[in-house]
Parts: sequence; structure tokens; C-alpha cells
Amino acid sequence: MQFWRKAFPYLMALMAVAAVAWAVSFGTLPPADFAWQNGDEIKTVDPARATGAPEGRILDAVFEGLLRNAPAGPRQANGIQPMAPKPGVAAAMPEISDDGRLYTFQLRDDARWTNGDPVTADDFFWSWRRMLHPETASEYAYQLYYIVGAEQYNTAQVAEGDKVEVELPDRPDPLQAFPRGTIRRGILRRIVPAESASQDTDDADAAAEEDARRQAYYVVEVKPEVDGQVDWEATGETQVFSIEPASTTFRDEETQHDVQTCLHVLIDFEAAGGVRVLGPKQLQITLKNRTAYFNSLLAFYPLYPVNRQCVEQYGSPYWTKPDHIVSNGPYRIQFRRIRDRVRLIKNETYWDADNVHLETLDAMAVKSQTTALNMYLKGQLDWATDVPQTMIPELKKRDDFLVAPALITYFYRLNVDRPPLDNVLVRRALNMAMDKQALCDYVAKAGQQPARGLVPPGMAGYEGALAGEFNVTRARELLAEAGYPGGRGLPRIEILYNTSEGHQAIAEAIQQQWKNNLGIDVELRNMEWGVYLDTVSKTNFTVARAGWIGDYPDPNTFLDMFVTGGPQNNTNWSNAQYDRLIEQAASEPDAEQRMQLLREAETILMDELPIIPIYFYVSINMVHPEVQGFAPTLQDVHPLMNLRIDRPSL
Amino acid sequence: MFLLRRLGWMLITLWVVYTISFALMRAVPGGPFSREKQIPEAIRRNIEARYKLDRPLVVQYFDQLRPLVTGRWENGRLKAWPDFGASFRLEDYTVNEVIAQGFPVSATLAIFALVFALMLGLSAGVVSAVQRHSPLDVSFMAAATLGIAVPNFVLASLAIVLFVFVLGWFPAAGWGTLKQIALPAICLGAPIAAYIARLTRTGMLEVLNRDYIRTAYAKGLHERRVIIHHALRGAILPVVSYLGPAAAGVLTGSIVLEQIFSLPGMGNHFIEAANQRDYTLAMGMILVYTFLLYVMNALVDISYAMIDPRIKLQ
Repeated sequence: MQFWRKAFPYLMALMAVAAVAWAVSFGTLPPADFAWQNGDEIKTVDPARATGAPEGRILDAVFEGLLRNAPAGPRQANGIQPMAPKPGVAAAMPEISDDGRLYTFQLRDDARWTNGDPVTADDFFWSWRRMLHPETASEYAYQLYYIVGAEQYNTAQVAEGDKVEVELPDRPDPLQAFPRGTIRRGILRRIVPAESASQDTDDADAAAEEDARRQAYYVVEVKPEVDGQVDWEATGETQVFSIEPASTTFRDEETQHDVQTCLHVLIDFEAAGGVRVLGPKQLQITLKNRTAYFNSLLAFYPLYPVNRQCVEQYGSPYWTKPDHIVSNGPYRIQFRRIRDRVRLIKNETYWDADNVHLETLDAMAVKSQTTALNMYLKGQLDWATDVPQTMIPELKKRDDFLVAPALITYFYRLNVDRPPLDNVLVRRALNMAMDKQALCDYVAKAGQQPARGLVPPGMAGYEGALAGEFNVTRARELLAEAGYPGGRGLPRIEILYNTSEGHQAIAEAIQQQWKNNLGIDVELRNMEWGVYLDTVSKTNFTVARAGWIGDYPDPNTFLDMFVTGGPQNNTNWSNAQYDRLIEQAASEPDAEQRMQLLREAETILMDELPIIPIYFYVSINMVHPEVQGFAPTLQDVHPLMNLRIDRPSL
Repeated sequence: MFLLRRLGWMLITLWVVYTISFALMRAVPGGPFSREKQIPEAIRRNIEARYKLDRPLVVQYFDQLRPLVTGRWENGRLKAWPDFGASFRLEDYTVNEVIAQGFPVSATLAIFALVFALMLGLSAGVVSAVQRHSPLDVSFMAAATLGIAVPNFVLASLAIVLFVFVLGWFPAAGWGTLKQIALPAICLGAPIAAYIARLTRTGMLEVLNRDYIRTAYAKGLHERRVIIHHALRGAILPVVSYLGPAAAGVLTGSIVLEQIFSLPGMGNHFIEAANQRDYTLAMGMILVYTFLLYVMNALVDISYAMIDPRIKLQ
């Protein structure tokens, strides 16, 4: 003890020196050619599993789909660079059949994976089926629902008479969905519910339904396979499968069968014919209906292909490690540091590598707006994607501050089941008592445009419908007509928003406007993001803030939200004619006619007002002046492969 | 014996913390997969099945607890212990990988902050005590009072304005070079330095009046030797006992600073995990923080016994 006592101060000093030396030993990193604020740490680089803008920027650089978004034509007068899907892995734009349902693609010969293998039609088939597989649990799987058979496959719906694939539980790694176990393919002859299953049909509990699906017996006529090809015409052998068999044997009318345990009974996606591989470089897609914006979806990152060999060799999530990942885009991932950066490096094997100018890119996971602005101002970032709202009036004076209209709408959802919002007159009164111009000019302040409709301007060929204008007198009359003259007797209204200074400022301004113009007192309530999302999805509010970013440049991405029971509806609003118009528009071949149908739908929406549109967002970007090839776009996507930097040579 | 008992209590504490955190996390509305963009019901069920969130809570409780105790085994070899599982929101990583990447960052920051705080605090405290009531003493102690009162995120904002924008000595944020570590470490260490300075000054003043110091002077020893070898040894005890809380302060303080300076450390992961309802990552962070605080306190107790012969470990 005596020795330790003597040694203690020196020991401490030694530890401190060693620790400092260790800390210093971290090598310094050479800066990348171009660094940008990518926001939140990305969730994943698996295209089938990713969602969100930060993931999108990385995936657009690392992978490439059949098509890719690229600049189309000169910039418009308002500075917007029009973008359109252009051939990516595809050699040319698809041939589309007259009914708009059949897309035929020829793939380019020089499209390669980073491991040197060619990108084939089979890669797309395999990647999409993987994305749709229930165990992949892709959030964006519904982007493929336009394809024949995709929805049934994803949601494991099978019916008697369907061609099905049955996966047996003999996977090499039980925890990995790929590579899959033995697949038996055949025709589903009968589905027999297990005896134990409760026949109580009014028990519509989702869990009970799922149990019934898993315990049912599937009688399948398994067809013989020759050289990997199924002979659907041949007579097959009857086999019985069940996911959770209650019994080991199954008695048909005359014979007794052994019940085989299986993992999945899904429709046979290949036989469904939605995606057909015509040749190594030829792919054909069949849609359920004509879909005007399908090309835009093909250029959207969830539909990018992944490398089968890589996924099957390493499994999820290990195949996404920078050391393992095989990709096909203009850039490769060099390394990742969690909540620090993703370093991208030019992919020399990319077919268009000659037109990729920057060698290294850094996607910086900087979430704080203030920190990002500091880093941008000090030259640590070349592109800031999100700046503090309070700084906007100051920053607006700078040349490198790029503001442009964006396909994003800020609106309030109204719960039409809750009094007084169940009365359309009250909803109209609330809308007309809102001075949206003032909100844009004095609260939002970045150049947002007041919104009288849900669909932002800028969609080619579409003229939006308009809700009532700001008109205090008329608003008061409407409120009186509804039975609340001067706001007397009006049930309590509360505006819900997620905790954020910006949303609070808007809500306070609206609270003030409604008080001044209608004489009604509205309460404000803010909630932490997760709690807010939960409350909105349960429609447990009277008025709730919302924002919607267009997935593709078509009015449908905004309007199909409000069909009856739609997952984004969340207002309890339902209108049969609206639903019909949206459905008709989906299959309308004539573009002009289609826009007309959508406009009629928006007119209903703006008349009934289950939502009050407030303003159309602008995209805000700050980019250093020496960066060339950066232009504001409607969807705020900026392909990194187009960028160049003209720095005075070092 | 002392260590064994401490270990036993630590395990119990960790288990209690695990249980309470598990209950609290599941009780908060919203889950790791709530989005503004709602997903169709069928897809939501696929996702819940993949992450086993469709199982009863009791089953989930033990499913998450089991690998923490047994670790992850592959082909009969222990791969990771304890196994916190895969992160819900950082899908490409396991929680163990996130901790492995985040811990060195936070540890480096903490070490720099503590070393800085000790050097500054001890020297300022000694100077203040020796030159009592001098202008130097008054200004040091004024600065120390301010340093304790000002929260470190305010200090950080001021430091960024001064050192980054006015003087241009340091980069604004980020991780990777020594220059980038300096500013957050200083901001993190400053309040602790202030506290240490005050403790040292008080301790020194008390010791300097003792007889053995007078004896040392009487022997004709040099003043520097008396102060460093004789006086400081006795005065440092309160500082050492403060190191435990200081380490805790550095750990929790860095949570805020890592956000401001965009550092990829544990604190950053902790905050984001809680915001994003990343059940496994948040649990991993909570348990690691509990463990660290526990170990820090145990180390302080041990070092206490090393310095002061009157203290015995029981």
C-alpha cells in the first residue's frame, strides 16, 4: 500500500499522458473534394430498406436504377432546373405498349457491378422480389404495388387456384431470408382452416387472422421442375403444407398426406408475370393499370437493384459494410463513421465514369442547423441543406443562398369527426379567417407561397383547385351560419404540432388570427415527434400540423392521400365521389383528361376542407459559389455526379 | 471482498436500470417505425414481425435480456458479450458496433477535458492560495465562480463566436483532428477546472497554516518544494474525491457538447436513440452509462484509499 501511495501521483500523470498520446494517435483524414450536410445519420444503404432524403442522396450516388433523374432542358425563369427520368442502367427509355401497361427495357451492355459482373435483367427481378418479400419488411414496398402480383406477394395473399411458391425451412442460415430454402412451386388447390381455429368470424382481430393464416393447411399440386423451369402443364403431385401445423397428417377425402412445415406460402411472383426476364439484358414489366408516373418511380431509389451474390454471401445487414458491398452507381462507399460521415469515392467501373467529376465526397451527418451553418461559413461544408429559420432574413442577402419553390405543402389536418369540425361551414370559416400571405411574409419569411390548394404549383399540365380566399367578413358569416355567431358556444379547438420553433411560430400566428378575425380561442399543444406521430395516426386531435413532400412530380402523390381509409388520410374524411375520381384518374390514358379528373378531385377536397392548406414550401440550399452544376429543383434532388468544382488550382 | 461486493451491487443496479428503462421505453407513445408518412397496414405487420415487436411484452423483455447475459455465440465461439442486439434505426450496425465507434470519441473528449481541468484548476488554485488576496487570486476566483455558474452549452456558443469566428483558431465542428478536439474539450473541462480551482485553494489555505508546513519552511526548504511536495499532497484529497462526480459531469456534459460540435460520440448516439425510439441502442447506451458511472465511483474509492492512509476499503 505504501508503494501505491507513493506511486499514485506518477501513475495518474502517466495515465493522463498515455491517454492523450492515444487520443492524438488517431490519424488525420484528408478532406474530401466536396462535403455536404446530409442531416440525420442514414438508416441503411440497403435500397429496399431505406427511407428519407439523407438516405436518398447517398443511394443516388452509390446505386443506379433502370432510370435516373437527370437535368432535362434549360433552367426556367424562376431558376428551377427541370428534371426528368433518363436512362440509367437501361440503354434507352422503355418501349411502352398502347394500353400503358407493358414496359420493355433493353439494358446497357457496359453497366457493371463493382465486382466486375454485368448488371442483368435478372438482377432487377431478384432485387424487386427481395424487396417485396414479407421478411424484407420494406417500408417502400408499396411503390411496387403498381406491378402485377406485387401486392399479393408482399402481403402474402393467396387464393385457391393461384400459382404459388412454398419455401421449406431448410435455409442455410435460418436468420437470413436470403439465400432461401428449397422452393416448391405449384398450384394451390385448397386452403383448409385448422380444426382448432376459431370459426368466430366477428372476431376480426388481426392477430387471430394471422394465426389462422399460419395454421391453415395448404393443399398444393406441386409441379415438376426441369432445368429450373416449371412445367405448369404437367400433372403434379399433391402435397400439403402449413406454416404452423397443428397436426402432422392431413386427411383428404380419400388419402392421407403428411403435412410439411413451410416458412411461406406466397404467390409465384415469376409466374404472376409482373416482371419478366426476356434475356440477360432484356426486362419486361407489366402494370396493373396505366401509371403515368411509373418512369419517375423507376428512378426512385427503392427500385435500385442490389447484388444477389453479395447479399446472399454476407446476409443482412453485413452485406452493407463498406468492405463487402457491391454496388453499381457513380460512387462507391469508402468508409462510414457512425453519426460522423460517409466517405464516397468515385467508381471507376461505372459506365459513365468520364462524366463523374469529383473524386471524393463526404456526406456529413450534421443534424444541428446552427452547427451546419457554422461549418458552412467556415468552409468545412460546401453545401448546407438545412439552415436555422431565425437566420433566414440575414442569409437571404447572400448570393450563395438558393431559394426555390419545392413540391412540399404545409397544411393542417382537421378531424372531421370532432365537433365543431364535423361542420363543413366551420372548416370553411377557419380557412377564410387565415391570412396566409401574412404567415408567409412575417412568420415563415423564406419566400414560401401562400397555398389555396393542396397541390403545389409547377406540375406540368396541372392547374390546381382553389379553396376560399382570406375574407374575414365571409368567414364570420359562415361561422354564424354554422350556429356559432361570434364564436359563441364553439366547442374547444386545439392545434397540435410537433415541438419545433418554426411550427410553434406558425401555430401562434394562426391562433392570433382566428382570435382576431373570428373571436374564437384556440389552444396550442406541442408534442415530441414520436408522440405526435402516434397521436396523428390515431386521429386523436382536432387540428394537427402536417407537411407532405411529393414522392414524384404528379398531383396524384398529394391527392391520393385523402381517399377513404388511406393510410395518410388521418382526418376521418371520406367522400365516395373523390375516391371514384382518384381511381378513374389512375387508369385514364389521356394525359389532359387525367389532369382534369385530378383537378375535379382537388376541387371537392378544397370545398370540403378536411385539411387547410397553409403554404407551399421552398427548398433552401446554400452552396459555395465555386461549385458548378448545382441548381434548385422542384423535388430538391441534386445528383452529385453532375457537380464540378472550379477551385483555383492548388 | 470490497470489489466483489461492489460487483454484485453493480449487477443488481444494471438489472433494475434495464427493467425500468424497458418499461419506460415501451410506455412512451410512438415506436421506432412511426413516420410522418404512414405505411400500409400489411407492411407495418411485416416490419413488426421482422423486429419481433408483435410478441407479448414479457417475451420481448426476456428476448432482449437473454443475449445481454449470455452474449452472442457463433459456431461455439463467443462473438460478442454482452450482446445488445442490432440497432433498430442504424440498421447496418449492431449496438455493440455503435458503442465501439462512439466510446473512443467520448473517452478521448473526456480525457482531454479532465486533463485540461486538472492542470488549469490545480495551478490556478495553488497560485490563488499562495498569493491570497492578490489581484490574481481575486480574478481567478471570479472566473471560477463564473465558470461554475455558466452552463457548458452557453460557454460553447461563446467559445465558437470567439475562437472560430473572431480569431479563427479552430474549426467550427466535426471530429478527426486535434484542433477539432480542443474547443469541445475546453468547454467541457472549464466548469470542472473552476470547481477544482476552488477546492484546491480551500485545501491549500487550510494546509498552509499547519505546523508541518512551518516545520518544512523552518528546515530551509525551497518554497516550491514545500508547496508541491508537502502542502499539495494534503490539499489534493478533496480534489481526488471530486474526480468521481467530475467524471460523471464530463460524461453527461459531453452529451450536450457532442450535439453542438457534431461529434460522433456516445452522447450523440444516446440523444438520437431516445428521439428515434431505437429501443436496443437506447438500452445499450443507458446500460453503458450506468456501468461507467459505477466504475468511476469505484475507482475513486480505491484511489482514495491509496492516498489517505486513514481510509480503509470495506
